[in-house]
Amino acid sequence: MKEYITKTGSGNIAVDDTLLTKGIETTAGSKILSGFVPLFSADAVERAEKAGYTVAGKTNVGEFGLDLVGEFSYYNDGDEILHGAAAELIAKGEIKGALEVDLNGAPRRAAALSGTDFIKPTYGTVSRYGVIPCACSGEQVGAAAADAQETKKLLTAIAGHDGKDGTSLPAESYDYACGKEIAGMKVGVITQLFDTASEETKAVIKNYAEKLKALGIAVEDVSVEEISAAQSAWQILMAAETCNNVSRYDGVKFGYRTPNYKNIDELYIGSRTEGMNLLTKATVLYGSDVLSKGRYFTCYDKALKVRRVVADKFKELFKAYDALLVPACGKTEYKKYDIGKAFETVYEESAYTAVPNLIGIPAMVTGGVQLMADHFGENILFKIAESAEGTDK
Amino acid sequence: MDKTTLDGLLSLNELRLTEEETESVLGAFDFMAGKEKIMDGIDTENVEVMVHVMPMNNVLREDVREQPFTRESLLEGAPEHTEDSWQVPRLVK
Repeated sequence: MKEYITKTGSGNIAVDDTLLTKGIETTAGSKILSGFVPLFSADAVERAEKAGYTVAGKTNVGEFGLDLVGEFSYYNDGDEILHGAAAELIAKGEIKGALEVDLNGAPRRAAALSGTDFIKPTYGTVSRYGVIPCACSGEQVGAAAADAQETKKLLTAIAGHDGKDGTSLPAESYDYACGKEIAGMKVGVITQLFDTASEETKAVIKNYAEKLKALGIAVEDVSVEEISAAQSAWQILMAAETCNNVSRYDGVKFGYRTPNYKNIDELYIGSRTEGMNLLTKATVLYGSDVLSKGRYFTCYDKALKVRRVVADKFKELFKAYDALLVPACGKTEYKKYDIGKAFETVYEESAYTAVPNLIGIPAMVTGGVQLMADHFGENILFKIAESAEGTDK
Repeated sequence: MDKTTLDGLLSLNELRLTEEETESVLGAFDFMAGKEKIMDGIDTENVEVMVHVMPMNNVLREDVREQPFTRESLLEGAPEHTEDSWQVPRLVK
């Protein structure tokens, strides 16, 4: 089994195992990629190194980032209480920060559980070149650190146009300074997400809202009826894209190959069956189904239309609110559970994280809560997070 | 979702499941059938699909031959290979 973090020497940031690192084994937490050593590094990794960060090692992720916080990585250490590997190392002070891929909220949940910071930036602001792809239309490389200032520094280092990525936006760099005064800002708490969270999580949100009020921010409840539909839509799109993306793993050119085969079909089926876990298989099969004839228009196409409705709804919301305050997880602690129930379990928790992936808005976890802003609203998120963290000091 | 349709999907995706895993996956499909219905509450009449959340451009490069990686380095990561090719079982008898 692989080490929890593969030390490569001294360094100050970790890179999660869905980001390619030249010369260092990169597996996306999957047996199917065991032994895969990339020939180049992800653009985000190169940018961080150019800015003076050094890579301490790779951190474990759930297979293709599909689970809650990494519990179903092939290389999992089997803890009873679940933590995200990078967030835990940041919380312990072993690393300064981490680059992590957010495709279904795992790094956000991990940051909330560990009390660290993580930002999933606006879609297209950080290059996806060198990300092991899964749900291309919503996944983003984000930055994690112990506080908002360090998170901002790391995000500033990795964001900017990359000609190698067709989804990369044209700005060469991003300035996350915020000229707007904190007092007078307005934050909405989405009632549908607050009401379904545990009592402990509700207390964390209430406590954070009080901090914001003390800073002069108006906090009020807001109802967003489209939340549940957004969650369904993201599950459908994510599964469909995952199905396509993991079809490349066949045991031929790289990664794991079953030792038990007599012909090419047995090689493909054996390698994929032994190489991927049940959550990935369920996601692939569901994704394959929603793309099939008869289901495409009623399900996949409908999800793409719901995405537009949700995007329009949030554009309207951000005319009234600078940011939205919601939980990142429904609970303040996750315990080990059976993979046979992973599909449903992760779905339920993705209620809190799905929208930013679905419509590409930035989302930041800080102080155990999640803040969302309009596209390119990272500066607002950092301003709020830094101000709230300032009240803790 | 029934077992026969699931078998078709497994075949398409080059996968196998144990009996216990089959039950779990069928359960996941049933679960999602209920969740999909939630989308019916959203009126999408005359709504355009949104494939990309941001504008996307094709990435083009000059039509110049490049060789970023050597054959050896690409073969190195393969589970089995000959001196110059990836190796798979015989396809044609």
